[in-house]
This record gives sequence, C-alpha cells and structure tokens, in this order.
Amino acid sequence: MAIAQSVLLCLAAAGIAAAQEPAPSPSLAQSRQVVQKVCGVCHTPESVITGGRTRAQWQETIDKMITAQGAKGTPEEFATVLDYLSSQYGPASSGSTPGGRGGRGRGAAPGGMLAGAGPNDKHVVDEAAADRGRKVWAAECIDCHGTYARGTDNGPNLVRSELVLHDRYADKIGPFLQTHKMQSGALGNTLTAAQIGDLAHFIHQRVYDTLRGSPIFVVHNLLTGDPQAGKAYFNGAGGCHNCHSPTGDLKGIASRFDPPALQARFLNPRPLGGRGGRGGRGAGTAESTSPGAKPVTLTVTPPGGPAVTGTPIVFDDFDVSVRDVNGEYHAWKRTPELKVVKNDPYAAHDELLTRYTDKNMHDILAYLVTLK
Amino acid sequence: MKLPGIIASLALLSAGLWGQTGLDSRKLLQPPIDTWPMYHGDYSGRRFSTLTTINSSNVQSLSLAWSYRTGVGGIKATPLEIDGVLYFSAPDHVWAVDARTGRELWHFAWQSNGGIHIGNRGVGVYGNWLYFETPDCNLVSLNLKDGKERWHKTNCDLDQFYYGSVAPLIIRNHVIAGVSGDDLDRPGYLSSYDPETGDLQWRWYTVPQKKGDPGSDTWPNEDAMRHGGGMTWQVPTYDPELNLLYVTTGNPQPVIAHKNRAGANLFTASLVALNPDTGKMAWYFQASPHDTHDWDATQVPVLIDGEINGQPRKLVALAARNGYFFLLDRTNGKNLVTSPFVPTNWAKGIDRNGTPIPDLAKMPQIDGALVSPNQGGATNWPPPTFSPQTGLFYVGASRAYSVYYIYDTDDNPQGWGGTDRGGANLGSMVQAIDYKTGKIRWSHPWESGGRSGLMSTAGNLVFTGDGSNNLVALDATTGAPLWHANLGASVGNGPITYQLDGAQYVVVAAGDALWAFVMPKR
Repeated sequence: MAIAQSVLLCLAAAGIAAAQEPAPSPSLAQSRQVVQKVCGVCHTPESVITGGRTRAQWQETIDKMITAQGAKGTPEEFATVLDYLSSQYGPASSGSTPGGRGGRGRGAAPGGMLAGAGPNDKHVVDEAAADRGRKVWAAECIDCHGTYARGTDNGPNLVRSELVLHDRYADKIGPFLQTHKMQSGALGNTLTAAQIGDLAHFIHQRVYDTLRGSPIFVVHNLLTGDPQAGKAYFNGAGGCHNCHSPTGDLKGIASRFDPPALQARFLNPRPLGGRGGRGGRGAGTAESTSPGAKPVTLTVTPPGGPAVTGTPIVFDDFDVSVRDVNGEYHAWKRTPELKVVKNDPYAAHDELLTRYTDKNMHDILAYLVTLK
Repeated sequence: MKLPGIIASLALLSAGLWGQTGLDSRKLLQPPIDTWPMYHGDYSGRRFSTLTTINSSNVQSLSLAWSYRTGVGGIKATPLEIDGVLYFSAPDHVWAVDARTGRELWHFAWQSNGGIHIGNRGVGVYGNWLYFETPDCNLVSLNLKDGKERWHKTNCDLDQFYYGSVAPLIIRNHVIAGVSGDDLDRPGYLSSYDPETGDLQWRWYTVPQKKGDPGSDTWPNEDAMRHGGGMTWQVPTYDPELNLLYVTTGNPQPVIAHKNRAGANLFTASLVALNPDTGKMAWYFQASPHDTHDWDATQVPVLIDGEINGQPRKLVALAARNGYFFLLDRTNGKNLVTSPFVPTNWAKGIDRNGTPIPDLAKMPQIDGALVSPNQGGATNWPPPTFSPQTGLFYVGASRAYSVYYIYDTDDNPQGWGGTDRGGANLGSMVQAIDYKTGKIRWSHPWESGGRSGLMSTAGNLVFTGDGSNNLVALDATTGAPLWHANLGASVGNGPITYQLDGAQYVVVAAGDALWAFVMPKR
C-alpha cells in the first residue's frame, strides 16, 4: 500500500509538473512503446482500446493495475501511460461506447441490443488473456466451479458471484485467491499475478457470455420436422401451393437461406419495414428482408373519382395518402364516402399464423430445406 | 375511490406540514383537477379526470397551446403538474417547465456512471422535494424550486446490472422506489426511503431469499430463488383506506431457458398487496406462473370502486402482458374475472384460482414454439385507463405471434438463454373492457399499429396515440375517433390533463418534446 501511495503521489506530481512546465512530450510511437513495456507484461495493450474512459477513470484503472496486479514501472512511465490512454482512448475516442449486453463487455452492443447495461467502467475482457486464463481454469478451478463457471456440488456459481461482478481486473478475485485452496490443493497465492489476471478475464468472459448478444446465444437445430408431412401440408391444409411452387418461385430457396432465416421467411415474408414481430410499432425484422417482395398497397376511391392504387405513406383514422407506380403522391382526408381497400399480399401468411401447430411449422421447414 | 372518507381519515394527519409552498399533501388524496401530483394522477392508477371543459362535443376545437423540446432522447415520463409547473424526466435528466406556456424553469442533468438508458417514467414530489431514479442506480432528491440536488442514495448495485427507470411514488413519509434490470439473474425488490434523509425504511424482495420464506416452495432451491428476478418496473397504486400498496412484479430469471427454476416462481409475474409502512405482504395473485416468455406482470394495477352482483366492491383490475384481463377483490386478492383481451395460445385453461395454466408445449423450445402474444406482449408498460363514467377499462393492445427458442441447453442456464424471433403483429388496437365481465365492449383497431398510454375524462373522451404519430381523442362510449394532432413522433407516455384559470390542458410527450393542447374557459 505504501508503495502504491507513493506511486500515486508521483503520478499526481508528474501531472502538476506537466501542467506548470510542459516537458517535451514523447511521440505517440514512444508512448506506445512505454505502454507495451508496462502493460504488455500481463496483457496485450490492444485490450484497453475499447475502454473509452475519462482521465480519472484511466488513472483509477492504472491504480488498480498497480495495487491488484503488481504492474511495475517508473513514475514517468506511468504518467506516459496515463497520458497516452487518456488522449487515445478517452470518452471521445471511437472505442468509447460503453460495453453492451454480451459482446464480452466491449464495443457497441451486438445484435441491436441495448447499449449501456452495467457500469461504464466494467471489466473489459482481453480475449487473448481469457484464452490463457482458460488453461489456469482447467488446471485449478474447473473441478469445483464447472466448465462454464456455473458451479457444481463442490463449488459456487461464479457467474452469479457478487465478488466477481464487483471485480475489475482481478482486484477482488486476486486477494480472494490468496487465502483459498485450488483443486491441486495449492493456495491461490501460488499463481502469478499474470495468471490471476488471465483468470479474471476468463471468469468475466463467462459472465458476459450469459448476456443477450453473446456467442452462446445462437439458434440450434430447427430441423426436427417431417418433410413428407410438410409437403402434404404445403399442398393441402396450408394452401401454400395456391401461390407458391417448389419448381417455380421456391426453386432453390434452401440454397439462399439457412433454416432460421427460412423459418422466419415463411412465417412472415414481408419486406423490411412491413409489420414485423415486435408488436406495437410495426417494425420489420432483418430476417424478413426480401428483394423484390410484393408491396402492401391501398386502393383509394374518392366519391365519383377514379380509383388510385399505391403504396401507403400515411394511413390512419383521419388521413390516407399513397405513392402510385409513377411516383405520384396522392392524399385525402378520410370520410365515409372515401373508399379505402387494403391489398395485402401477405394476408394469407398472417391467417396461417393463427392456424399453424408447432408440428406444422417444423414440418414445413423440413420440407422447404429440401428445395435446394 | 371514495375520496371524502379518505381525506377525513388521512389527510388531516399530514395537512399543513409544508405550508403553502410545494405540493400540499392533501392533493395526493383528491381527484386531479388543477394538479396532476403523481405518476398515475391519483393513487388509484385509473388516469381518469373529472374535468369536462374538453368533451366529446367540443374536442374538435382543441388547439395547440405550446410545445417544449428537450433535445435529449425520448420522453416516456408522465409529467407531474403542481402549482402551474410541470416536472418530468428522461434518463439522467429532469425538467421543470411552466404548465401554461411551456417555458423552461430549470433543467437538472445527472453525471452518469452507466446503466441502461432505455427510459425514465417520471418523478415523485413530496412537499418541496422532487425524487427520481437514474440509470446508474441512484435515487436523487432535488429542490422543487430550482432543481438543485439535495442528496442522492444508492437504490441498487450497478455492477449487478440493475438500473433505475421507474417513477418513485410518495405515500405519506415514504418514497417508494422500484428497481429495473433483467440481464443477469438477480432478485427484484421494492424499497421505501425516508423523504427527508433518504434513509432506507424497508425493502421487500419479490422472490424468497431463503428456504421457508413465503413462496419458497415454488422454487427448486435457494440459489434459484435468490437469483429469481421479478423486477419492479411499474409504479405501484395505493388504497389509503385499506393502507395497501399494489405492486406488480417482473419475469423470473433466467428469462427464457428455465430448466433450473422448476415451479411457479413466486412472487414473480404477480400482483402483490403490501403494507406501505412495513413492506409486509398481505396477499398475492400470480398472473403468469413460471413465466418463460418475458411477459412479467408489470402493468398498472388499476383500483376500481365498483359493483358486482349489486354489491359495492373494492376491486383491482390488471390487463397483463400475457393477454389476460384479471379482476380481483383488492381487500384479499380473490379472483373474480379472468378473461383474454386478445386471443392467445399459451394457456391450457384457467385454474380454480383464476390463474392461467401454462401449456408446456408453448414454452420456449430448441426448435421453436409459435406463441401469441410475442415478447412485446398483448400490452406493455404504457398505462391503461379506467372511466367510472362508462365502466370501461381501456388498454392499448396488440395481437402478435413470434417463435420462442431455447439457445442455452445447459441444465443450469443463466441470464436469458434464448429469445423470441420473427413472426408478425396481426394488429394493434384500443380494447374497451367491461370490468365486471372482462368482455370487450368495443375495439378500435389502428390502421398502422401503435400502442401508447391512455387517459380518460368525464368529458366522454379517451386520449392516446396511434401508429401515425397522432395524439387521438376517442369517444369513450363508442370508440369513434373524434380529434387528432400529428406530433411528428409517436406518443411516448400517458397523456395528462389539468385545469388552470378555467382552461383545460392536455399534455403529452412525443419523441423529445412535450405538447400542450388547450380548451379556453367557456
């Protein structure tokens, strides 16, 4: 602690000196070399570039590296690291988005999920360090805490551990290990600081991998249906053959879409922007994007006037407007005399949603995937 | 609610404590007329105004009074209106604007340390003090006059991925604050704080914390229950006569993959009655046992003083995200009506307690289960309204299908472990439900989707938003659309109304703007 405090004082002093009498600042390349020397002992410096932290937050991180990880360097070197990280990876930098759900705590939230879950200063996983940590895990932790750190009869679930959630770069995990036995029987203090740091990356990776958008959030095998039953439904109760043909519009469709996309498409083939799956707002889904898809149109017939058909621009209780095939815009106030007919080429698909059993759904997919 | 009795019995206790400045606590026990003093307008959650200056015969001449743009994100908050000033929030921000002119009086910005910034439902006011929650887990108290911070207290642990989005509710000397967050498997709770000091008075966990606690027999083990979710995303309602707080709770955790939480998972996805002085539970009713669809039950529990079979009854109604309308006796939680307000396909029937029985086949599957409603729900957080004049409960609803998948096949899944994808919304509408039977009296479909909060008035009107960015006034009796104004963004909150200098205002949020419409004094 005394050492750490003196280092911090030195850091502060360095800051003051720089403010009062600007020293010749090292070039970016020189600074990068210092960062490599000081930080690269335990982790690749690249792992910090997604931080997006303020100067104070970077200083806090460096403090933790010194106190919990035993990072070593001269006061001048730490000051250079602080300057470099603050200027290159501050809040305004391109890597500044706080980690989203999943995505291992860094970068923009994947899959359109909400950014900002958890604290801004959350532990950012260094993938290479986590890979090294996996080996430590296998050697010393896995027997009690399990493959996914979710615990066993012999050890607690670390994904749900408050100590882990409060940890940053082993500042809690490190001290905890000092007095706890591992599966080899040795105390955790027999691990090197670098090993403990790697282990922390691996454990945080396990936490982030439970979040939405993480790599384990993938669809598994959807092909559980009976293709013959699907074909029969296609040509029978489903009425699909009335509009579609396996040798016509659906020829080779299974080569163009994987099973999840194919399933999404036959349930709702509307183009992007059509009524999608989210309820309230009518948003479409990327999965339902379909080049050349047929548009929903309105046919509006004013009293005595010619009918106009076009894609809806405004359609509510009070107003209706469309753009016709020539690109002309037409607008009307809605009145009882104004006839509005909606032409929805996907209405049959909507109707089927209310009729499909899950078996029908699986069978149709099993059939469609045969249309290579 | 029967207000004269309530005023006599309770308002006397606290009347005059704050003099003439700030919010006179008696206003909390009166119908909202010149004031909209809390999130739901009054403790009942019915969002009904007795004002008639704007009514179904003159609403055509409702005109714009002002608009105010924050320039900061979307507004989902229901503003409070106190002494001619509106107070409202967005994540990390609170504003005070003149209720007659829209002129900004002050703006408070919080320096954030993180958390999900998806929305903030609003503020609570006690005397001269304002309270709101921040995404980074703080309960902040501001001076009502100038927006200066008085104190802030930690309401949750950001490291556990909790966050703040709910509007606090003031009951006497309690600031009731919920908690949000369903990324990790953490327990939900509701807290009560001292309005002066911010000290914690009590905390009620929505899920049992140890074996033997009430509801613990509906979980397989302590680890499951202690991490079982049940966030308190909705502002509670309150009956001063019974001194009961009505709280709705969120989905259990893990959300979709559910192998490790066999059982009904009490008290998640439930409506619970608590004593606001102690946090002790009086009764519960579970809307979705063992929820696996992220439906929760955090819709507004609306208090109705009604009549069943000729007998006056104290009732509570809930139109839940799972598609069912429930009517309960709010003295004891006994179910009187369970009826779907849109068609659904996930329940096999209704048990003798009035609870839907989940169909195991419609729980998420590895190869997918086609389920209605979808994750967005048959309805969601935007507030419904109840008009004692028409006897109708109005709710924004959708009929949508999606496919629920299990992604995490582990025996001990964590977090979500799956989701829903695809499908389609077959339509969105306002459902007007006869509270006594659950039958749909009328349904007004929206041509282009839409699902906003609602407010009803004694002027035979229901205000809400459609999918074309319109604020719409419907005839409360028939559902006929009578008036609209296009706001350029969809209505993001529940509308409010108040009367100042004889003029009745309707205020609503759309995008990052507040819009005020007015009907001058007749």
